[in-house]
Amino acid sequence: MSQLPAEVRACIAEWLAQGEIDLFIGYEASSLPFQATPAFIRQPEEVDRLIWDATCENNLVSFLKRYRGQKVGIMLKGCDARSLVSLMREGQWIRERLRIVAAACPGVLDVRRMVELAHTEIENLPGQLLPQGWQHGETLTPLADIRHVTCALCLQHTPTDYDLLVGDPPPEEHPDSFAAVREIEALSSDERWQFFTQELSKCNLCYTCRNTCPMCYCNVCFVDQDAPRWFTATTAPPDIHFYQVMRTFHLAGRCAGCYACTRVCPQGVNLWLLLDKLRADVWELYQDDAGTNPDAKPPLTTYREEDDNSFVL
Amino acid sequence: MEETWEPKIVAFLCNWCSYAGADLAGSSRLQYPPNVRVVRVPCSGRVSPIIIVAALRQGMDGVLVSGCHPGDCHYLAGNYYARRRFTLLQRYLEYLGIEPGRVQFTWISASEGTRFAEVITEVTESVRALGPAQRLTINPREVQP
Repeated sequence: MSQLPAEVRACIAEWLAQGEIDLFIGYEASSLPFQATPAFIRQPEEVDRLIWDATCENNLVSFLKRYRGQKVGIMLKGCDARSLVSLMREGQWIRERLRIVAAACPGVLDVRRMVELAHTEIENLPGQLLPQGWQHGETLTPLADIRHVTCALCLQHTPTDYDLLVGDPPPEEHPDSFAAVREIEALSSDERWQFFTQELSKCNLCYTCRNTCPMCYCNVCFVDQDAPRWFTATTAPPDIHFYQVMRTFHLAGRCAGCYACTRVCPQGVNLWLLLDKLRADVWELYQDDAGTNPDAKPPLTTYREEDDNSFVL
Repeated sequence: MEETWEPKIVAFLCNWCSYAGADLAGSSRLQYPPNVRVVRVPCSGRVSPIIIVAALRQGMDGVLVSGCHPGDCHYLAGNYYARRRFTLLQRYLEYLGIEPGRVQFTWISASEGTRFAEVITEVTESVRALGPAQRLTINPREVQP
């Protein structure tokens, strides 16, 4: 666990003291090993609690919907900043109300994979709180070996638009984002159905993916709606499919690929395989990337007369 | 018990073009399969993807959405917006392993009664070829081996 650099903390305290922001949303150490927890700082003297390291996996943009109308300071990784862009282009937030502390993020930890690597210490995380029975060992595991699977797909390590920067920006990797999607597309229809049925069978409808998604800000979610009642929340496969298909499709043209849903899923469902298909199609058909330009119109709120028409009978 | 299966198809027809096209097919005494249940909607842009997926979930074997031809929308652009959504939805459902042909889209104008009868025949036959819907359905029908 590493505290934010003193000059960054001083600056945040200054913003709070001057009333430039009402609230700062960052990370602090939690009582769980390898997991930071969101911190909501309102007093300048509380800023010493703020930390930044590879355990800070949450996407804090999700909390912005609770503070509409307030001036907020927020800590963002590269992926989180992309989701903020998507939120801003839907008119859900304006840059003038924000102070952004950007984190140059080389990737966040996959807590599940930590279990395999008991008794080792991870690069950049000395002094980390360890689970009971663990000891700090000799070996330093390179962070790259243990970062979350979605971090290998990282679209942007460091935010592009910020007021303060923490850390040294790692080189951007530009991976082939849609390789996995194309691999699945190459399968037959039956194989794809088998694959996704198996993948989604892990889901137990805890709705964590929805709750963590910065783009899920409907007042009433379709799964909670009474009239009409779309959904009966049983864990029968058709219900799980219905939830996952409709939730992900609601993000078509809006998902910026922050992969927060995949990282928080307690069951380890690879939700990014669903969302990346939508992002791939939106890119192919409408040349739109939700996470880059806050002034662009979301693709499903606009049209071109020459749009693809080949799918109709 | 031997029960013959007939495809159950729901068609969402826009009030201004396709529904009038269906009317014309009827008043012209054109024959088309009786497997389609018509739901009249104000515009193809009214058809939210959730309506389509919910129809499959509740046991429809096929879904057809039909609106005005691009450029002819009564509300000027409703079908253009719908077209983007449906393109993505159709590709997405196929990606997830729903058989191509379960969910279909078309444009039928008010003067195309013949075209309406043809489309309904075509959709019914393609859904019949696919067999009863098994995927996404709450109570899938038993398939005879």
